Amino acid sequence: MIAVKNLQKSFGKNNVLRGIDTEIKKGEVVVVIGPSGSGKSTFLRCLNRLEDVTGGEILFEGQPITDKKHNIDKTREKMGMVFQQFNLFPHKSVLENITLAPIKLQGLSKADANKRAEALLQSVGLADKKNAYPVQLSGGQKQRIAIVRALAMQPHVMLFDEPTSALDPEMVGEVLDVMKKLAEDGMTMVIVTHEMGFAREVGDRIVFMDGGVIVEQGTPEEVFGAPKNVRTQDFLSKVL
Amino acid sequence: MLRLKRIIPLLMALLMLTLALYPGHGQANAQSASSTDEKRTLTIGLSPDFAPYEFLMTVDGNSKVVGSDVMIAEEIAKDMGAELVIEQMSFDSLIPALQSGRIDMIISGMTPTDERRQNVDFSDLYYTSRQVILTRSEDVDQYKTMDALEGEQIGVQTGSIQEEIANSIPNAQVTAVKTISDVVSLLSSDRVNAAVFEGPVAEAQVKNRPGIAIAEAVPEDSDTPMAIAVQKGNTELVNEINVTLERLRATNAVDGFIQQANELNSGETAPSNIFSFFWKYRGFYADGVKYTLLLSALGVLFGFLIGLLIALLRLSGVKILKWIAVTYIEVLRGTPMLVQLLIIHFGLASAFDIKFSVLQSGIITLSLNSSAYLAEIFRAGIQNVDRGQMEAARSLGMPRGMAMRTIIIPQAIKGVLPAIGNEFVVIIKESSIVSFIGVADLMFQANAVRTLTYSGLYPLVIAAGIYLVMTLILSKLLNVLERRLSAGDSR
Repeated sequence: MIAVKNLQKSFGKNNVLRGIDTEIKKGEVVVVIGPSGSGKSTFLRCLNRLEDVTGGEILFEGQPITDKKHNIDKTREKMGMVFQQFNLFPHKSVLENITLAPIKLQGLSKADANKRAEALLQSVGLADKKNAYPVQLSGGQKQRIAIVRALAMQPHVMLFDEPTSALDPEMVGEVLDVMKKLAEDGMTMVIVTHEMGFAREVGDRIVFMDGGVIVEQGTPEEVFGAPKNVRTQDFLSKVL
Repeated sequence: MLRLKRIIPLLMALLMLTLALYPGHGQANAQSASSTDEKRTLTIGLSPDFAPYEFLMTVDGNSKVVGSDVMIAEEIAKDMGAELVIEQMSFDSLIPALQSGRIDMIISGMTPTDERRQNVDFSDLYYTSRQVILTRSEDVDQYKTMDALEGEQIGVQTGSIQEEIANSIPNAQVTAVKTISDVVSLLSSDRVNAAVFEGPVAEAQVKNRPGIAIAEAVPEDSDTPMAIAVQKGNTELVNEINVTLERLRATNAVDGFIQQANELNSGETAPSNIFSFFWKYRGFYADGVKYTLLLSALGVLFGFLIGLLIALLRLSGVKILKWIAVTYIEVLRGTPMLVQLLIIHFGLASAFDIKFSVLQSGIITLSLNSSAYLAEIFRAGIQNVDRGQMEAARSLGMPRGMAMRTIIIPQAIKGVLPAIGNEFVVIIKESSIVSFIGVADLMFQANAVRTLTYSGLYPLVIAAGIYLVMTLILSKLLNVLERRLSAGDSR
């Protein structure tokens, strides 16, 4: 579904990504782990071109989205993204946050968009919050709404950029539960996270990044159970 | 939650309505409504700050143009069987108004100079006035001859024939100010020691203001004739006018008119209590408030839209657009609004023949000036919106423009609403500057009352009070709007 070929990204003289090659298959849940500054967030943000790439190529469903002529807006409609800081629109109600893009971009009627939004809210247990404003919600609730907002566009893939890092510990579970359910339903997902337990349980493949490259990847059993690379071992010994 | 989309058509409708309610071009409206039947009308233009020829009088709190020129015009209209319509405007707007056909003739104490003859045709002379020297009563004996004025401090009205005379006095230090009543104020406050005046005008002042007198000295070669101006080539109208003037000359009627007008003028006694003073002249202030509100509302509306556009250009990331926006902002913020106003009103007209009406010039200046300040406010507001908001909107597939419109700008405006409100208050106050080119706004009307009542303090204090009331009401309204918009942050 997504093919990444020799992806490079630099900010000025700082080379953050130094040649990434990988492929993400339909229905696969890929969890990206690694120390801070390893480039994992930048890698994720390159996938929907929130960061313009410096070199290399990304193909999404066969189309080269790193091509300057490619209409990235259309592609982004199929790639949902969830941010560490939620980024809900504070001047809009929960329902408006969710229905805005489907109405504006997919031409849904307000009634249809509301129906879709309400069903999704139901599935994350927040149906009663549809008329609330973001400021009235807890962190965990905000992040669940942010996931629903992305899902409302019916994306083919979901990108998660440290979705639980800004949450109080007691709220991490409710967000991870939603993601777990999503994975069980067969959603293709790329997740950058520090939640190793979750990575182990949900991930089909673990990608360990350090210094702007993929150092090691494999099934959770392989990476967590018997890391081959010294740097992987070192990192895991610190976080586990 | 209020949405911009819903507000804009509303504002537009409001704008149309306001414009429909304001016929004319910013100058005070026609005094008598023109009749709808086929009766002929004669529309005259004059600048009513020149007692006893033309000046304003209060009747039931409303202003009325009177004076000897008005009486002559009435005679002409009577002979023609036409109904008289009077348009007031600043003296320098008269000839453009005549040329564009907005008025049929000018009768405003106008001297037929060669320069004016190139642009308009004149009737026979109907009056020739002399010039006199006005001084404080106690100094009147010092100025028996023109020689005594050499090297003296002299006050005159800007752009007048009197200014030319004063400048021809050796070593004289001439102070030129906008209105006749300002000249007299200069004199009574010892800022000048003498002033050059048109004879009948000086007599009117002496009659109404204590402590000033006409000196014996008389400027040489200073007779100034007056004639009526019509559109170039309109000999038919000139002939009709000349017939009436001939009839008036036969009975020496004009001198009588001037005397009558002088009596009318001295009949005006202003109340000594500020509240009754205000009540007596409320019509002036009401007219002025209308224009001040119109100017401010349109200045704010256009300033808002242009300012937003400039802010977006500045943040566009395209170098040339950014440069244009920065230059625009710096130039408009770094030059006085009065200079901008004069360039737009007079500069463009003389250099490129772009002739805006006074009201248009006023609105354009206020809009441009406020747009520069609002652009910077919007820029700050947009930059203060969290970066994640744009990223979230883009990640959903929204193009940049849509994300700006629906996500960034509403939050930006909400964030800077107090600053915008502040700017609106500033515009209401600054709009007073347009009185300079003759828009009949609150400041202009305050000056008219000053001329009318020979009172230096009350008219200005009342104007200040009205400005204060307007700005306070606006602040309150903005507070309400701010509360309405803060749905979603119940902190």
